[in-house]
Amino acid sequence: MTETSPLSAAAAPPQKSRLQIALRKPGFVIGMVIIGLSTLLAVAPGLFAPYDPNFIDYTAVRQPPSWAHPFGTDMLGRDSLSRVISAYSVNMQMAVLATVFALVIGVVVGALVGYYRGLADMIFGRIVDAIITFPFLVLVIAVVAVLGPGLVNMYIAITLVGWVYYARLMRAEVIAQMGNDYAASGVVMGYSDRRIIFRHLLPNAITPVVVYWMTDMALAILLGSSLGYLGLGAQPPQAEWGVLIAEGRNFITTAWWLSLMPGIAIVLTGLGFSLIGDGLADLLRPRG
Amino acid sequence: MRQSLLAVTAVLSAALAGPAAAQERGGILNFARYDGSNLIDPIYADRNPDIWMVGSLFDTLLRQSPDGSSVVAGLAEAHSVSPDGMTVSLTLREGVAFSDGTAITGEDVVFSLDRARNPDLSPWAGLLGSIDKVTAEGREITLHMKAPDPTILQMLATFTTGIVSKAAFEAAEGATDQEKSAAIFAAGGPGAGSGPFYLCGFEQGTSMEFCANKHYWRKGADGKPLPYLDGVHFEIIPDDATRILKLQAGEVDVAEFIPFSRVPELQADPTIKMNLYPSTRIIYSPINTRETRADGSPNPLADPRVRQALNYATNKEALIGLVLQGAGKPMTSPLMAAATHLAADLDPLYGYDMEKAQALIAEAGIAPGTEVTFTTLAGSADDSTIFAALQQMWAPLGIKLKVEQVDGATRGAKNRSGDFDIHTYGWVNDVNDPSQVTGWLGYTPTANAVGTGWENAKFNDLFEASATEMDVETRAAQYAEMQKIYAEEAPLLFMYETPFAVAVSSAVEGYVQTPLGNNVFEEATVSR
Amino acid sequence: MDRVQYILKRLLLMIPTFLLVMVIIFVLVRLLPGDPAIAIAGDRASDADLAAIRARLGLNEPMIVQFWLFLTNTLQGDLGQSILMRAPVTEVIAKRLPVTGFLTVYAVALSLLIAGPLAFVAALNRGRWPDTVIRTVFQVGLSMPVFYIGLILLTFLAAQLRWFPVGGYGGSFIEKLYHLFLPAVAVALYTSAIIMRNLRSAIIEVLDAEYVQFARAKGLPDRLILGRHVLRNAMISTVTLLGLSIGNLMSGTLVTETVFAVPGVGRLMLEAIFARDYPLIQGLTLTFAVLVSVVFLLTDLFQSTLDPRMRLT
Repeated sequence: MTETSPLSAAAAPPQKSRLQIALRKPGFVIGMVIIGLSTLLAVAPGLFAPYDPNFIDYTAVRQPPSWAHPFGTDMLGRDSLSRVISAYSVNMQMAVLATVFALVIGVVVGALVGYYRGLADMIFGRIVDAIITFPFLVLVIAVVAVLGPGLVNMYIAITLVGWVYYARLMRAEVIAQMGNDYAASGVVMGYSDRRIIFRHLLPNAITPVVVYWMTDMALAILLGSSLGYLGLGAQPPQAEWGVLIAEGRNFITTAWWLSLMPGIAIVLTGLGFSLIGDGLADLLRPRG
Repeated sequence: MRQSLLAVTAVLSAALAGPAAAQERGGILNFARYDGSNLIDPIYADRNPDIWMVGSLFDTLLRQSPDGSSVVAGLAEAHSVSPDGMTVSLTLREGVAFSDGTAITGEDVVFSLDRARNPDLSPWAGLLGSIDKVTAEGREITLHMKAPDPTILQMLATFTTGIVSKAAFEAAEGATDQEKSAAIFAAGGPGAGSGPFYLCGFEQGTSMEFCANKHYWRKGADGKPLPYLDGVHFEIIPDDATRILKLQAGEVDVAEFIPFSRVPELQADPTIKMNLYPSTRIIYSPINTRETRADGSPNPLADPRVRQALNYATNKEALIGLVLQGAGKPMTSPLMAAATHLAADLDPLYGYDMEKAQALIAEAGIAPGTEVTFTTLAGSADDSTIFAALQQMWAPLGIKLKVEQVDGATRGAKNRSGDFDIHTYGWVNDVNDPSQVTGWLGYTPTANAVGTGWENAKFNDLFEASATEMDVETRAAQYAEMQKIYAEEAPLLFMYETPFAVAVSSAVEGYVQTPLGNNVFEEATVSR
Repeated sequence: MDRVQYILKRLLLMIPTFLLVMVIIFVLVRLLPGDPAIAIAGDRASDADLAAIRARLGLNEPMIVQFWLFLTNTLQGDLGQSILMRAPVTEVIAKRLPVTGFLTVYAVALSLLIAGPLAFVAALNRGRWPDTVIRTVFQVGLSMPVFYIGLILLTFLAAQLRWFPVGGYGGSFIEKLYHLFLPAVAVALYTSAIIMRNLRSAIIEVLDAEYVQFARAKGLPDRLILGRHVLRNAMISTVTLLGLSIGNLMSGTLVTETVFAVPGVGRLMLEAIFARDYPLIQGLTLTFAVLVSVVFLLTDLFQSTLDPRMRLT
């Protein structure tokens, strides 16, 4: 509590474009830079990885960091830096593919039941309750075990559960928006349901969903890593941060670099998504 | 000359130890386990965490000799087999008692052995299938055989013939033997068992306590009854890294199943003894030998030449270096660990030879790019390492190795249904005789030759003949022949033998894990 | 709506939810590859042994019969016999649930202790360096996999410095606090981050609200404003958040309890899945669903009590 109260800082900002405002926020910019670089590493790992990430060298196992191997080598003599970099493609893919289908399904279902309510909403409510009261990780582990381990099945499993959270959020937003004048006026003007939902309600209701999506992407990477730790996610020899950390856990005192580097990668990426999420929340917040 | 020198050393060391070095006694040993017991009973123990503890609670008539090659007196002070092999006579030691002090009688022995060989009760009854009848007169026990059995004395030194108290079973609640056994185990306390300890605490999946049996018959170095310890406290810690930390923090005295990747580091720790106990554990990979895969497609591995090629292309020494940090050796018998009785020494068994491997693959007409799936245990660092190494080792054969990670239950189901190409597996003998492992790995009626679907009439005939062969040399020849056939046919990828890696605090002496995996606390001490 | 009526309606709605949960888990466990009989008898068991075990477990009955049994037994409070633990499922869960409950409450308490004050600092310094630092640090905590951070805590604080025990679960209350400290911290790293974020925006929202600005303009001391308006609002939003994330919290114990060797239901669930212990998986899932539903209901009731604007619908 100082004399420069935060309130004075909040005094009427001059009208600028939202993007300009966002770009003045260091958090948002840092987030964009992190995710931009991560995407670059994910798209073209070959440009940055100094070695073949899967090349085994029996004669050079668990070497400490050096000029030749800045992150050292793992228990099979593979270059750790190259493995951390090559994992970017898998982990960034996880962030997107484990969430994007859930996002689309959730938004559409949530918008529809929010608009029409009635019986469909009632049934939806029970399904949501059942899935939300179900232990999430158990459902994912069981679905992966049934379908077989692997990334694609992992995405399916996470999507099967994850859409509910988006749908719930979307439904609540749509219902809130419905109370607004413009939705009512749309009905009065005789617009089709589809037009009202997708042209009017959806764009206004989607902000919190997008913000949640950013957090969810960070969580998806964590969840994918946990499944990797349990051996149910990415399959070897493909490097994945969770698997890399799990492999390195046993050497935390003797070869700390094995788990630390992928740990930093996870934290940085998660940070990036969250910073963007925070920035977007400010940016997209309806202001009046 | 040599003898006298030995004698001198013995005298010297005795003098050095001196009379002051009284036997360390008392205290509780804290033991971190990788997995917990469910039911410790000579006949219902079916998983290693159960089997390996049976001996602590239930003593057997005979005991393994220290080198494992023969049997010595146990609860029975004398034993003999009639020349025709049809009668086994044993004399019960005088004054032996259960853990509550009641005497062990011939009746208890008959009860225990009848229970153990009852196929309606015991999954292990097959081991005692040759016994026709067991009778007792006072301390004299007689086994009347249906047929001669070369393994019978070993079986009497095996956990499943542990002696239980008939009275305790009769008094226990429950309608069936299994319910009674479960009730006895749940209640704990002395009385049911004859081993050096009795169960005195149990939290399923969490912890377990053993207390010393004050009436145990064996004597320690100080002439007083074993065990030296007051008891053992077990804690279940499934995570490898946490189990080791527990030991390093001094919260436990022993941590078992140390991953081999941690062995060198613990060897360097002055407060810890990193013990590598010799074992009968083998790590191998069953290969599906059926003509077609489960999905109906032709199976390239049905051709023995391909299986031989995979074996030649596998650099076992390199695998041992990567997975075991060198603490292991390649299998030298295709069917069993080298320490097993009657193991053939075929060293090198498929020594690394890439040229031969490539020639065999060409001969078999395997097209480059042929896909083979390797099924591994999810979450196992060793399996991932093995896979990555094999993928690289077999690439020159034109074999594209793919991985499929599953959990243990799925792997078991796949093995049974033949829905796999190659998967990792391990084995530890439960019996100090080659018949059990040979039956498991090669004899088709037991388990389809460990799920490979391999069937060899000559091998099966030899196995059946050896089961009743009392002549030592003939039996040895039969085993030699079986191992030769098995090696040639290669239904497995033969990998390596590993010791049991157990890290022990320097305060602990005398704890042993036997080659069969049994945890032996009888002569363990801990100095606080 | 009348409060009693509302509670009755919610409880009524739980019935179809639980039914759905039971159907899903019942079908799901039976779709899992692998056989509980193998889990009991081991890989080496003969086919005849397995068939006998399956018959004993009633797994040969038609699915619909098995489900009917599951349903009717559950209604009578009998969740069956655990295959792995060889004991009634209700008994096993009753023994393990308090451990997880204690750990969860402990972690939440720690989270509040950590996140509460720091959220105020961050909110009051919005956009300036204390805010940035606090948010970044929490974000880092949020992004750490438990199986990694857990091991780091164990390695340094427990094994090397020996400040805390490596694992286990003590007897007395104080012992439990001591034994579960590190696992609770590992969980709290995640929970405190989401609480902090939520609290911070709740506080900011109140500070920005017109009535607060007005109060400030009138010269009311900040302390009073904070006490009267901010705290209340912050409490409502935090309780709501905690209530809603109870599912995630308890799900998270799966890995935490394994790493820290804590004998709770999370680790039990993982073991049950690997052993294909159908009754235990079903029982644990159902218990979980009931717990979560009840907490949701309590959260809503609490919210409506504190916040008159909230209507019970």
